[in-house]
Amino acid sequence: MTTIMVKGFEVRPDLAYDFEYHMWVEDLSDGRVRIGMDSLGVETSGTLAHLVMVEPGTELSRGEPFGSLEAEKYVGPLVAPLSGRVVAVNDTVLSNPALVQSDPYQKGWMVELEVTHWEEERSNLVSGEDRVKARFAQKITEYRLEGVLAE
Amino acid sequence: MTHQLRIIDFGEVDGLRSQTLWHALAYGVSEGSPPTLSFMEPTEPYVSIGYHRSAAELDPEVCGAEGLPVYRRMVGGGPVYIDRGQLFFQVIVPATTVEARRGDAIRRLLSPAVAAFNDVGIEASLDRGNEVVLGDRKICGHAAGQIGNAVVVVGNVIDSFNHTAAASIVKAPSVEARREFLTLMRRFVSPTPTDFAAFIAAARKRYSAALDLVAVDGHLTPGEEEHLARLDRLFVDPVWVHGVHRPSERWWRAKVKSGVWVAHAKRNGTGLMVALEGERVRSLRVGSEELTELIAGSETVPEAVRILGERDSELAELLSEIASRPPA
Repeated sequence: MTTIMVKGFEVRPDLAYDFEYHMWVEDLSDGRVRIGMDSLGVETSGTLAHLVMVEPGTELSRGEPFGSLEAEKYVGPLVAPLSGRVVAVNDTVLSNPALVQSDPYQKGWMVELEVTHWEEERSNLVSGEDRVKARFAQKITEYRLEGVLAE
Repeated sequence: MTHQLRIIDFGEVDGLRSQTLWHALAYGVSEGSPPTLSFMEPTEPYVSIGYHRSAAELDPEVCGAEGLPVYRRMVGGGPVYIDRGQLFFQVIVPATTVEARRGDAIRRLLSPAVAAFNDVGIEASLDRGNEVVLGDRKICGHAAGQIGNAVVVVGNVIDSFNHTAAASIVKAPSVEARREFLTLMRRFVSPTPTDFAAFIAAARKRYSAALDLVAVDGHLTPGEEEHLARLDRLFVDPVWVHGVHRPSERWWRAKVKSGVWVAHAKRNGTGLMVALEGERVRSLRVGSEELTELIAGSETVPEAVRILGERDSELAELLSEIASRPPA
């Protein structure tokens, strides 16, 4: 696994990204994908206090919550970037949410889905190293202009 | 079209409704009702636990079937004791209108409340941890969350506060831990006797200005009434109330305010209890039977670790680890 830095944020260029929900998607090549939160999602969430995720077997549509997180006494949804059935949950991050912050692209993964609408929904994701780098850079610039991120 | 801030003052309501009313409003805003500022005063004591918390954290002799009603809210934070003498306010806005960074969203949505405190003569401010404080004392509990497509920030104005009752609701691992929790609560949580009507008037003006919306008195919509009926049932459902199963913690801890907390842990049969205020140790007790005081001053964490290390290096290591992981 290789990561690169884009304007100060760690990015894994081999993954696909949903920039609306700040989730990354790894194609496991057997009809399954692994999902986690990208470094911008981690940065804007604040210090994670609690994570809860749905049980394996849960059917999800893209845009539905697969769990929730709490940071700074603020509870928010974790939103599925793809439709599918949850086949695995990373129990390690449930007991240690800090892993999502310290290692968002590997040990901090959240769920695995057996995807049901991959062909239709993959177009919502950004993939390919150049496109990923460009979209991260664009989003970081937007956030800095809005004051979401410090210069 | 003029954009409105709906204002609803529910007045005095029972404990259950002091929770379900504003959750119903959140679902309403999520479905298209205007941004809303609401107020209510509970008429009876109860315990509220945060969305990610469990009723198993509470003292069963004080809370639940034999004691105070327990309601689990859909926003964050820990267990809190609620009683008469507290005015609750909620600001509810569409999720698309809040900042991407959660801390910024909370700060912006609490700032008008701080201005309202100032308007009624209380020199409140927001500290770096987004606590509403008077000096170094917390004067307003707050929590936030996204419910559907709406974001809610909840806070309160505390006219009177029963510290003893508030410290009694959590399941503490020892008498000393509960006593220390109460001591910290008395030191760092203060009521601010306030004319609630004056605060409501000030908050109405401040939130209207901050959100650039025209304040208009309103009421529950039929859809929100339906949500209310559903939530009235959900909030007394024992499964809902019990909350989230939490992986067992390596140590017990109770937060008083941002940066101020007490922790209790054991290693090799020896107990350790520490009260922390930021980077300083207010007190440290250790012992296998009774916890005897080792530090009762304001040493820094490294100093406390060194002092404890002279007695027990493993406990010192544990203290260092505890201090490095304050409750978020």
